[in-house]
Amino acid sequence: MQNQELLQDGLALMALGMGVVFVFLTLLVISVTLMSKLIGRFQPVPVPVEAGRKSPPPPAASTEKDEIMAVISAAVHRYRSTRRR
Amino acid sequence: MDKLVTLWEGSGLYNLELGQAVMILVGLLLLYLAIYKKFEPLLLVPIGFGGILANIPEAGLAISALDQAIEVAKPAVLQQMAAALGASLDPLANAEAWRESLQMMAHDGVAPDQLRAARDIAVGVGYSDGMLYNFYKVAIGSGIAPLIIFMGVGAMTDFGPLLANPRTLFLGAAAQFGIFATLFGAVVLTSMGVMDFSLNQAAAIGIIGGADGPTSIYVSSVLAPELLGAIAVAAYAYMALVPLIQPPIMRLLTTEKERQIKMTQLRPVSKLEKVVFPLMLLILVALFLPDAAPLLGMFCFGNLMRECGVVERLSDTAQNSLINIVTIILGLSVGSKLMADSFLTFETLGILGLGIVAFGIGTAAGVLMAKLMNLVSKMPINPLIGAAGVSAVPMAARVANKVGLEANPHNFLLMHAMGPNVAGVIGSAVAAGVMIKYLG
Repeated sequence: MQNQELLQDGLALMALGMGVVFVFLTLLVISVTLMSKLIGRFQPVPVPVEAGRKSPPPPAASTEKDEIMAVISAAVHRYRSTRRR
Repeated sequence: MDKLVTLWEGSGLYNLELGQAVMILVGLLLLYLAIYKKFEPLLLVPIGFGGILANIPEAGLAISALDQAIEVAKPAVLQQMAAALGASLDPLANAEAWRESLQMMAHDGVAPDQLRAARDIAVGVGYSDGMLYNFYKVAIGSGIAPLIIFMGVGAMTDFGPLLANPRTLFLGAAAQFGIFATLFGAVVLTSMGVMDFSLNQAAAIGIIGGADGPTSIYVSSVLAPELLGAIAVAAYAYMALVPLIQPPIMRLLTTEKERQIKMTQLRPVSKLEKVVFPLMLLILVALFLPDAAPLLGMFCFGNLMRECGVVERLSDTAQNSLINIVTIILGLSVGSKLMADSFLTFETLGILGLGIVAFGIGTAAGVLMAKLMNLVSKMPINPLIGAAGVSAVPMAARVANKVGLEANPHNFLLMHAMGPNVAGVIGSAVAAGVMIKYLG
């Protein structure tokens, strides 16, 4: 008789436990999906930030120019040094 | 000559009981498995050594002042303690019989104030709580050590793969079937009269199937502290055996073709999502399952420290030095529970047997769930990643990856398997919360 009760308790706990685990994780799936969508919608926020970074092109361009100048002068320097020999 | 006899009678060899000798051998076996077979050495070295310490005769490292006094005090002290416990000792019996009856009294339904009085007498004549007993009380009795470890695990966990493919959470949920099926198995064994487990003990045994060390220790310290030693040893030993236990089950339940399924690449996950996730999980826990709050709360806290990016020092401490310190104390405390009278029983064999069944069923449930999801969803899911739903991070995911590579050498499943793997950690913490709510 007592065993019967124990069995029933065990079965009840098994059903309840699996049920709660599944319901909770389903909730989690739903909320994670929603969150990702929401954040995805706000993703335009980082895009303007990037655009903002691009907005001052002159300094970027000048660094680019500096780089090109450096490369050219290095090449010229090497060319001249090989010529001298 | 008398002095020599006293010295001999005080020696370990004279007092060594058979049970203690066997338990010392068990401790040595654990050390062997840890050192030469590399079975979760970080845990099994402290556990094995603690087990040896706990069984040193006469030292009483793992027992309270009261138990120690009962075991070794002079007859006069025994009589005092009996008086404090509100009982008298049979004057005709010898001291050994007194010790036994005192032990029975101290562990069965004595009012707390009487117990405290007896303890005071024991402390008064110079007995003190053993070192390991204190470790256990502070680290596990209070529940702190497993929770701090869980925080460290949170700080080590990357939820990226899970966030990229949230449906893998279902796999983590399905694998928890191992926990509850084992619980039911233990209950069935009891009702058939093979074993003798209460529902609390059955639940604590089932949680081995969660393949999560700290969760197992936490649950068994709450529900069945008397089985903690066997449960912790089974949980960590089987976690080490995951690469042997899982592959045959995975191969049995899948076809060669299914194992070759390629999964689409995971989308990149933004930092904001990773920061929001632990907070969201915490809010869900607070709203729906407060009983899982200790475990999942610490887990979320650790993960937030990792992802928020402004407390790198704390996150680094949580996943390195702190978790190491706590692991040492936790291991020794678990070792203190490897005492002959509670470990050398038929029930321990039952726990070891049921534990491996729990792993098997959890793996099978995860794989079958993945097959089911594959039928329903448009995105292909390789059923092998379902096996990673039993937590055992990151071992189970590596196993899924390895079995997948055997079927198709260009199919890397590791990142896909990490999703269900961390989902399994959440799932087993939720299962633990349910059981503590129902039985605690």
